[in-house]
Amino acid sequence: MKQPANHPLQAQTRRHFFQDCGVGLGKIALASLLTRELAAETQALPAFRLPIKAKRIIYLFQAGAPSQLDLFDYKPKLKELEGKPLPPSVIKGQRYAFIRRDAAVLGPRFKFARHGKCGAELSDRLPHLAKIVDDIAIVKTVNTNLFNHAPAQLFMNSGSGIPGRPSMGSWLSYGIGAEADDLPAFVVLKSGGGLSGGASLWSSGFLPSEHQGVPFRSDGEPILHVNNPDGVDTKAQRDSLDLVRDLNRNRLKTVGDPEIAARIDAYEMAYRMQARAPELMNFKDEKKETLELYGAKPGNSGATFANNCLLARRLAERGVRFIQVYHQGWDAHTNVEGNVKDNARKTDQASAALVQDLKQRGMLEDTLVIWGGEFGRTPMVESNVVLGRNKGRDHHPQAFTVWLAGGGIKQGITLGKTDDLGFHITEDPVNVHDLHATILRQMGIDHEKLSFRFRGLDFRLTGVEKQQPVQKLLA
Amino acid sequence: MKKFTLFLSIASFSCLLQAADEVDYNRDVRPILAEKCYPCHGPDKKARKAKLRLDELSAAVKSGAITPGKPADSELVERIFSDDPDERMPPKKSKTSLNPAEKELLRKWVAAGARTSSHWAFVPPQQAKPPATRNASWPRNPIDQFILARLEKEKLEPAAEADRYTLVRRLYLDLIGLPPTPEEADAFINDKSPKAYETLVDRLLEAPGYGERWARDWLDLARYADSNGYEKDRGRTIWPWRDWVIRALNEDMPYDRFTIEQLAGDMLPNATPSQVVATGFHRNTMINEEGGIDPLEYRFYSMVDRVATTGTVWMGLTTGCAQCHSHKYDPISHTEYYQLMALLDNADEPDYLIPEPKLLAKRAELEKKIEEQEAALIKKLPDFDEKFTDWSEKQAAVDWRVLLPASMKTNLPRLEILDDGSIFSTGDITKLDVFTLRFKTKAPLEALRLEVMPDDRLPAGGPGRSYYEGRKGDFFLSEITASAAGKQLKFTNSSRDYGKITTGSGKAAAAETYDGNTTTGWATSGREGKASQLVLPLEKPVAAGAELELVLYFERHYAASLGRFRVWGAARGKEAKAKNMPTNIESILALDRKRWTPGQAEELERYFLRKDGAFAGARKPIDALNKQLPRLNSTMVLRERPTDNPRQTYRYHRGEYLSRKEQVQPAVLEIFPPLPEGQPANRLTFARWLASERNPLLGRVTVNRAWRAFFGAGLLRTSGDFGTQSEPPDHPELLDWLAVEFRKQGLSMKKLHKLIVSSATYRQAAVVSPGLLKRDPSNRLLARGPRHRLSAEAIRDLMLKGSGRLSGKMYGPSVYPPQSSRVTKLAYGSPGWNVSKGEDRYRRSLYTFTKRTAPFASFTTFDAPSGEGCIARRDRSNTPLQALVLLNDDMYVELARHAAREAEKQPVGKRIGFLFRRFLTRPPKAAETKLMDQFLSAQLKRLENRKLDAAKLTGDKKASGDQAALFLLARSIMNLDEVITRQ
Repeated sequence: MKQPANHPLQAQTRRHFFQDCGVGLGKIALASLLTRELAAETQALPAFRLPIKAKRIIYLFQAGAPSQLDLFDYKPKLKELEGKPLPPSVIKGQRYAFIRRDAAVLGPRFKFARHGKCGAELSDRLPHLAKIVDDIAIVKTVNTNLFNHAPAQLFMNSGSGIPGRPSMGSWLSYGIGAEADDLPAFVVLKSGGGLSGGASLWSSGFLPSEHQGVPFRSDGEPILHVNNPDGVDTKAQRDSLDLVRDLNRNRLKTVGDPEIAARIDAYEMAYRMQARAPELMNFKDEKKETLELYGAKPGNSGATFANNCLLARRLAERGVRFIQVYHQGWDAHTNVEGNVKDNARKTDQASAALVQDLKQRGMLEDTLVIWGGEFGRTPMVESNVVLGRNKGRDHHPQAFTVWLAGGGIKQGITLGKTDDLGFHITEDPVNVHDLHATILRQMGIDHEKLSFRFRGLDFRLTGVEKQQPVQKLLA
Repeated sequence: MKKFTLFLSIASFSCLLQAADEVDYNRDVRPILAEKCYPCHGPDKKARKAKLRLDELSAAVKSGAITPGKPADSELVERIFSDDPDERMPPKKSKTSLNPAEKELLRKWVAAGARTSSHWAFVPPQQAKPPATRNASWPRNPIDQFILARLEKEKLEPAAEADRYTLVRRLYLDLIGLPPTPEEADAFINDKSPKAYETLVDRLLEAPGYGERWARDWLDLARYADSNGYEKDRGRTIWPWRDWVIRALNEDMPYDRFTIEQLAGDMLPNATPSQVVATGFHRNTMINEEGGIDPLEYRFYSMVDRVATTGTVWMGLTTGCAQCHSHKYDPISHTEYYQLMALLDNADEPDYLIPEPKLLAKRAELEKKIEEQEAALIKKLPDFDEKFTDWSEKQAAVDWRVLLPASMKTNLPRLEILDDGSIFSTGDITKLDVFTLRFKTKAPLEALRLEVMPDDRLPAGGPGRSYYEGRKGDFFLSEITASAAGKQLKFTNSSRDYGKITTGSGKAAAAETYDGNTTTGWATSGREGKASQLVLPLEKPVAAGAELELVLYFERHYAASLGRFRVWGAARGKEAKAKNMPTNIESILALDRKRWTPGQAEELERYFLRKDGAFAGARKPIDALNKQLPRLNSTMVLRERPTDNPRQTYRYHRGEYLSRKEQVQPAVLEIFPPLPEGQPANRLTFARWLASERNPLLGRVTVNRAWRAFFGAGLLRTSGDFGTQSEPPDHPELLDWLAVEFRKQGLSMKKLHKLIVSSATYRQAAVVSPGLLKRDPSNRLLARGPRHRLSAEAIRDLMLKGSGRLSGKMYGPSVYPPQSSRVTKLAYGSPGWNVSKGEDRYRRSLYTFTKRTAPFASFTTFDAPSGEGCIARRDRSNTPLQALVLLNDDMYVELARHAAREAEKQPVGKRIGFLFRRFLTRPPKAAETKLMDQFLSAQLKRLENRKLDAAKLTGDKKASGDQAALFLLARSIMNLDEVITRQ
């Protein structure tokens, strides 16, 4: 893979300022600059480092919540019970968003078959994933605390259902920074509809704001404001930046504030980002076979998820730490069959292609790929006259499926079991915070030690409960 | 002096500067105990180990842990110095340890008698006499005596006073948040009077921009936004509260009133509309509008936010810590947290139509005019009488009578009967509300009628109470059942005058209210603020004297119960149909026309005039007047609940909504003096308590925030936390002196601000030598003036004014400055960003619409908050994305172009200076002018050589090359560090 550009001279200059000028910074996130005012609440980072298994993450977030019962978790029993309510012992005390607890059962909508050496069971809507099941780990027993989209998406991303906490990408940016110095540490891509949690999903919360996710696009201007204004060519931009730099240097001489030096650096990095962007977005240097593998079609809005997956790989190559590719559209309150068909068609090929492509480039071993949504969907049917809903499934936080690949995760395994109804977990529950602990673990971070003092509390991504990385997932 | 190093570099720095050698409990000992020992031996009873607590000396002495004066007899000392890993404290599994200096400090403290005192911040501040200084000429006011005394101790000199250009820019930016124009700056530069500085300060304090500048800081604390947050994140109207803040600050409302009105203005005797609007402060919490939520769960989270915010803003305490368990460090127990919540909990959260006198008067005037013209028209129209009689005789009116319930029961809301026999609902609502009404019938019944009615107190004027997910003011009657003497009654031939369902669709037919399908029903969506009716004839009549029971079910995926309604019965109504006619009109029509009073007759005539198509032409001038009727603005407020329906507050185990435990009674924290005796323990008493001297933190927290606004950092740097875990303030005596002075001066913010900016400390130049930078990198000693980047909003405001585009329009609904719709497209529903037109493009930034899930991107990049929580202190980052915004954001390109047009109007030799001074106030130095001149020439040359295109650069086909080059220069100047920095 390409090594990120190194700028020893620049590093030198910065180091000079922070050491010789006595500005006691802790860990510096490389992708973001730098001298922040000394925040009294900011503590030096604790020794959280563990052996590093993964250097970067590509998180294919399936927003809206895919139906695990129609994709991963085959329950023939539901077919038998179709049309009847679940036993009260199963549904007692559960809260639902739309349906009543005693709604009737809906059987699986698709055929399932076993694939690969590992024999993982998948529905026929995932033909591409079926080809790589021996490279991935399927977890059928993820469970969450929340049953509404925005809070559950926030919980999956930030460990809390209330907006205002730092997202996983921000924690990583804060903790270990980016590999690149011309791209942000944390990048967000999106296809499908607008996202329930919006910008709260990539907020840095109470962490310093430079750790927030930066939205990118796979068409047009990749980052907001990265293109020069009309009529400003590269030379005019360079001339302008030279003038800005020269005047800033004069000012630095007069007042001696190292913050000005940091500003000068920031402008140079902005210029490098501008230079980097067209190259990053230029899919022309990709082989035809690669484009076909993903189903990527540059500029075609019908292939946005595929384009985003390819862009994610390119960002990963260039040293971005956390790339989150959102696909919104799985919220199958009605016609779960049609919903799964449509969204699987949009996402299956490119998701599998990403894993294959990373593998053939030797990047899979240190890139962690995660695929999954914010909760699952009910074994019970949703129908509602007023809402025009029929043969849908409601939100189901008790058990859902996530798959992981690369980054030191075991290959070709299926973890966890649910009961015959796909309702409750019977073996190997994985709480969202366990998943977080696992992800941080693979990134070489002790999740109990990466914390930030805010309003008198030491906050962590994984919360206050005792959490453990899921050992059975670790290679 | 450097015997011990206490903390990490930051904390130790201030301690190293403490010359005193003696151990101070509050400064030195308590922070160590709080951090290292209290987690197991502190206020949290549940976490306490070995029944030992070290936060109360008597308990520690009793247990033998501490023997004052005798370290050798103190187990604490023995254990912390122990070589035995099993004995040593803190134990290994606590993952914390004491360093040698800390151990020695604790030993010394015990040896010196283990003297304790309360944590400094929990003790009322005293005003120390400002210390004497060797240099008697430098201090301008007592602030300077405290600062200089310390500098003299450190053998440092204060910096020279900043030059006048710097001072005028600093004062403008600090006090009104805008830079001076060159003319405004020159007025000060040329004012040779010794009072010139004070005159300028006074003028700025009186400028309208003062309130706008300081309101922004307050909005951060209040987590203000123009949308609800979470998934739907729809817009909300609460800008009247934002305007209240601007006005209050401009009027210099004393801080106690400012506090009380915002927390409990609705409860003040004879509360004015303005005082009610003020309670919007705690309505700035988010509302989850996602379908399918449990609304009470999210109300609970709002309460959690309110407790934390109140703690931060008025007490400087991290009360939020005790949501899940007793505070580990500060004396706040888990129960006390919920007692605090109980003080704020007993309020409903309505929208409030602001009865602005001017609008009301205009409305009354128009209504009178309409009435007069209607009366005149009725007389004037030749065929009116004939048509009216004809119409009124044809009406098959049913003699409906209001049924008054003998009893009313619900799952949760409180129902009350109003004078007109209608039923009004308040209190909390849920996704399945059930109203059970019992009637003793006096006459036989053949039909029932449910009239749903508007009310200004309801969302969007009612008749429903929906406030999220669906349309405001909507309701959904999913089922209705009737029974008499325990026997189910059947409805037949039912009808409704209007039915519509949104957030979904369907017929909303009358029969769907008794079809047994809970997902169908009746709603009158789109008819907010108006009445509608549902008529349910009975298959078999009910005899007089029977006990009738009606059960109304309101079940949807969001809370959608009724707000105001009336139940009618008819003795003869088998054929009754719902009429698109007000019930009072039908009632009159049902009377024998000979018995109509003149008032009733007139009411009918008027109704007929308004309704009948034949008069449409004649009515046109009246319709035009109707359209002119001004609408009242609405805003979100708190309203104390009626005394017969107080909200009960409970403790929640581990802070979890589903783990409700015992009920708690409202009270303030035990460490503080209690609420005054004889006063009810409610929100108003609490607000008064917070603003009073009983709260030792009010002054300290407030002056510290003001200090931070001027100096970039507070005297206590952890702005939100004054608890035992906070580091000691840099100048504790000054902090307390200011806190007391603030109260002495009537809690006037303007006087406080004037005091600070009048100090010599404030007036110092922000120039730093390498030596001083090394010695005091973050300027704790204040041997130089402060220098820091401006806030996101201040940067844009500066660019607006510098370019000459700033609009002075104040107040009103939030606006949409230029921004790519790409930003909002990422959020739920992919909404667009409809850029404002005209001067609204150029309003001050605090008027910019804040959408929580898609905040204005160029502000976010400069660390602006999204309104999701109380922010006591913003970050000030320095990133390449900021450079991209200032260089390339269309919003700034547009301003640079405008600045270039203005500059082009200047004589050629003055253009550079003109542009430079618009943004930087000072004139450029010769070397700077030379650089800019060279730049301009180089760009002009490229323009002449057609390497650059003037039309493209300026967006104007007719623009000259000069203008294009000036645009590039203006854009460069706008990117200078000095421009976006206040120094």
